[in-house]
Amino acid sequence: MATFELYRRSTIGMCLTETLDEMVQSGTLSPELAIQVLVQFDKSMTEALESQVKSKVSIKGHLHTYRFCDNVWTFILTDALFKNEDLQENVGRVKIVACDSKLLTQ
Amino acid sequence: MAARRNNPSGIVPTTQNIVSTVDLDCVLDLNHIALHSRNSEYFPKRFSAVIMRIKDPKTTALIFASGKMVCTGAKTEAQSKLAARKFARIIQKLGFPAKFRDFRIQNIVASCDVQFTIRLEKFACTSHGAFSTYEPELFPGLIYRMKQPKLVLLIFVSGNVVIAGAKKRDDFYTAFDNIYPVLAEFKK
Repeated sequence: MATFELYRRSTIGMCLTETLDEMVQSGTLSPELAIQVLVQFDKSMTEALESQVKSKVSIKGHLHTYRFCDNVWTFILTDALFKNEDLQENVGRVKIVACDSKLLTQ
Repeated sequence: MAARRNNPSGIVPTTQNIVSTVDLDCVLDLNHIALHSRNSEYFPKRFSAVIMRIKDPKTTALIFASGKMVCTGAKTEAQSKLAARKFARIIQKLGFPAKFRDFRIQNIVASCDVQFTIRLEKFACTSHGAFSTYEPELFPGLIYRMKQPKLVLLIFVSGNVVIAGAKKRDDFYTAFDNIYPVLAEFKK
């Protein structure tokens, strides 16, 4: 089953990748096993976000640039307002990378 | 240029949209263009061209792998050429040997207001009926297909007239000059 590797670019994903790389370098872990770990990370992230995350956020801002290539949307927003029921936060610049979830189940 | 207009009403149609094409004369890698340029979309399963937009002049371009490009959304011919040149410049900056061959304006859409209401049903029933299609249940405007110059006019009861299909500015000026006296006949 294909996975979305975009979660590997998040802070937690980057830390995992770095740690796995170190372990492969030092020989404590085989490369194939490292790849299996990353694939499992992708699956777990997708599942966790689907089932355990309930909060919704509304994002409003000025669209600076947009791009659609390889079924991936990339947006850059300026002066964005992230609004939740509890709090709101103003962010000067935000990059949004989005993949089509219909492709996962294909 | 307005002085040339021999239209007694003094009304001049204003251009709303220009569609033009140009040949960049080189094969393009659409994936590379979509990845490295701002404000572009490329979804080959839906449409085999990159859709790119620029803010000034506010226009949209369809860029094909063969090197042909369609530029739409400009309000004047000069703006359309300028926009096409800007798009070609973007392609050049991405590393393709783009040239500017055979820039041609394919379609000019213009509109104006004749300042009086028109009786469309009467219009469609006269000798001009051969050129008109008026079906108020389908579309509220009368579709007038002019033979000389060959273009289409949409005439509305309110007096608004939309002219489409012109390749040159003179074409739609002539068309309006031709249709104005006819419309005045059917003034409400």
